[in-house]
Amino acid sequence: MELDSLKYAWRTLESRSAPDKSPEQIRALLHQRSKGPVEKMRRNLTGELLLILVTYTPAILFYFLDFDGKLSGIAWLFILLLAFLAVYFYRKNRILKAMQCTGCTLRSSLQQQVDTLKRYTRFYVRAGTIMIPIMTILSWLIIRWKFQPAPGADLFYRISGSPWWQHPLTWLILLIPITIGVYFLNVWYVGRLYGQHIRKLQDLLREMEEE
Amino acid sequence: MDTSGRDMQEKFVGLVQEHRSLLYKVCRVYCFSEADRQDLFQEMVIQLWRSYPHFRGESKFSTWLYRIALNTAISNLRKQRRRPSPVDMNEVPTPFQDMTWPGEEEEQLQQLYTAIDKLSEIEKALVMLYLEDRSYDEMEEILGINQNNLRVKMNRIREKLRNMTKEAAYGIR
Repeated sequence: MELDSLKYAWRTLESRSAPDKSPEQIRALLHQRSKGPVEKMRRNLTGELLLILVTYTPAILFYFLDFDGKLSGIAWLFILLLAFLAVYFYRKNRILKAMQCTGCTLRSSLQQQVDTLKRYTRFYVRAGTIMIPIMTILSWLIIRWKFQPAPGADLFYRISGSPWWQHPLTWLILLIPITIGVYFLNVWYVGRLYGQHIRKLQDLLREMEEE
Repeated sequence: MDTSGRDMQEKFVGLVQEHRSLLYKVCRVYCFSEADRQDLFQEMVIQLWRSYPHFRGESKFSTWLYRIALNTAISNLRKQRRRPSPVDMNEVPTPFQDMTWPGEEEEQLQQLYTAIDKLSEIEKALVMLYLEDRSYDEMEEILGINQNNLRVKMNRIREKLRNMTKEAAYGIR
């Protein structure tokens, strides 16, 4: 089979076999949601953001309004965490936006996808890991600051010393293996989600580059 | 939508209708089932519509269209929903089971599709552009591969296809 001899057949027979689409049908397609992976990732991100807002807002209100406002520090902790998450979502969304360049040549588009996807996964792992010590340290500070021993228990604490679980060193020792564990968990999870896709894109790029 | 927006949409719809056979060819080359082809067609039209405001006419419309269609086909759809089993793939040229083309030319075209199906995604794009009689300049503009490399790849693909059809003719799998 010679490719050149099939050019005519390809161009005529194939064009004839293309199903007809009315302008209405094409117009309707313009209003459909994209099913591309990047669009799905962006939609998931919006979903995550909404879920966080829906769960955090009642908690913030609860700690501001209840207990005569004595536990408002916890509400502020949640607000601080929300601010941190806002930066996290903003960065993630920016990376996802930069991932698509459908108007570029195939090679630049694939390169851009590989680069941004790698940046995305790096950010995912770093942010997901750093959140653990930040949360733990803030929670510990809140507990130390807001849950002082009752006046009658002062003597007990003076005699027995503070319990082992209140000691900063204990928290630190526990925090290190947990953070390392979470880091590897994140690496594994991100690899499971995007690893195969990144490898596939890299293979395509390699194929385009090799002579 | 204001008048200019409506005009732009009408112009775009007209252009897609005019070039729809190109889009269908990409769908046929990259998808196995009719449902997947419909999905890919829809995705390509959505991506084209999103990029349309950035189309400045610096390249031919068909070149721009190919670029977006191939980008979408190759990098956007991560999973195909229905893929026939390897046993079926050996028996029948699966993407075209539903097509009945009488004549020698048609039979050759079916053979070509079966062979194309075994190529990599980049090779499929190259063969398609070649069969569409696109110049190497245009192929470079679409794929971003330099012309020397394109020629080398094209020769290799031609040889590969020749061997594949020879093997099929002698019953070698």
